[in-house]
Amino acid sequence: MPTSPVKTRIPLTSFGHLISEVKRQLFGIDAPTPTELTGWRKHFNSYTLQGRRNFVLVTYGVLALTAAVYMMRHSRKEEHETASASS
Amino acid sequence: MMMSFFDQFASPTYLGIPLIAIAIALPWVLYPTPSSRWVNNRLTTIQGWFINRFTNQLMLPLNMGGHKWALLLASLMIFLITINMLGLLPYTFTPTTQLSFNMGFAVPLWLATVIIGMRNQPTVALGHLLPEGTPILLIPVLIIIETISLFIRPLALGVRLTANLTAGHLLIQLIATAVFVLLPMMPTVAILTATVLFLLTLLEIAVAMIQAYVFVLLLSLYLQENV
Repeated sequence: MPTSPVKTRIPLTSFGHLISEVKRQLFGIDAPTPTELTGWRKHFNSYTLQGRRNFVLVTYGVLALTAAVYMMRHSRKEEHETASASS
Repeated sequence: MMMSFFDQFASPTYLGIPLIAIAIALPWVLYPTPSSRWVNNRLTTIQGWFINRFTNQLMLPLNMGGHKWALLLASLMIFLITINMLGLLPYTFTPTTQLSFNMGFAVPLWLATVIIGMRNQPTVALGHLLPEGTPILLIPVLIIIETISLFIRPLALGVRLTANLTAGHLLIQLIATAVFVLLPMMPTVAILTATVLFLLTLLEIAVAMIQAYVFVLLLSLYLQENV
């Protein structure tokens, strides 16, 4: 009977710990130490608090930018349609 | 006048005067006020013991900053328990069956925990929106999912309390109507249905207390993340 590849109890205190433990036990991927994170990974990673915060801020920024561009294009298109309808 | 099963949830008015204010103020009237005496009477002592015990239990996982919320959470718990239990009496109106009432508690208190987190520890509050160890490709997706789950919290808090109490009251009314209808026709079945009604009422008493506790407990957990 196939047994579970998970050898030790996975802590369920947070989703993040669950992901880290699953990666470590099933795929052998260990979390890097802070000194191993170099270059852009030093500021954008999913292991340190600052890295996670930066990823969140960038994601929100991209979403806000996309929404702003869409609304500007939408209002320009409406103006164009109003102008062509009146002429 | 044809009564429907949902008339019990209509906000009561008398000559245009909304009576919900009296329904909300009723729990305050029912509890004795502790006096300035060193040793109070038995009832006041038991009341104080229960409040202290519950507040102690609730404040255990919170740090000193979270203890400022002790009065608010303890009062909210007693208020909700009392309103829920009084609503189980026949012909009474339960304010916690109104979604607006429950959202009026859930949204400001949840928002307060979020604002406290953003103000006191913005890095930790924002960092919690991305689980640790997330693979790179999944990062934007998970951030959006965690943000949605953050904003769903007050909705879930309010709707959980409303739905549980509304469903319970509706079930009690349905089964009680069934007992009345079946009594002249099939008395044995009516007695069995009455037994089910009795057990359901016991369950609703438990649900009334548990839902109030869950509401306050979840708020304290949200506070724990942010304070």
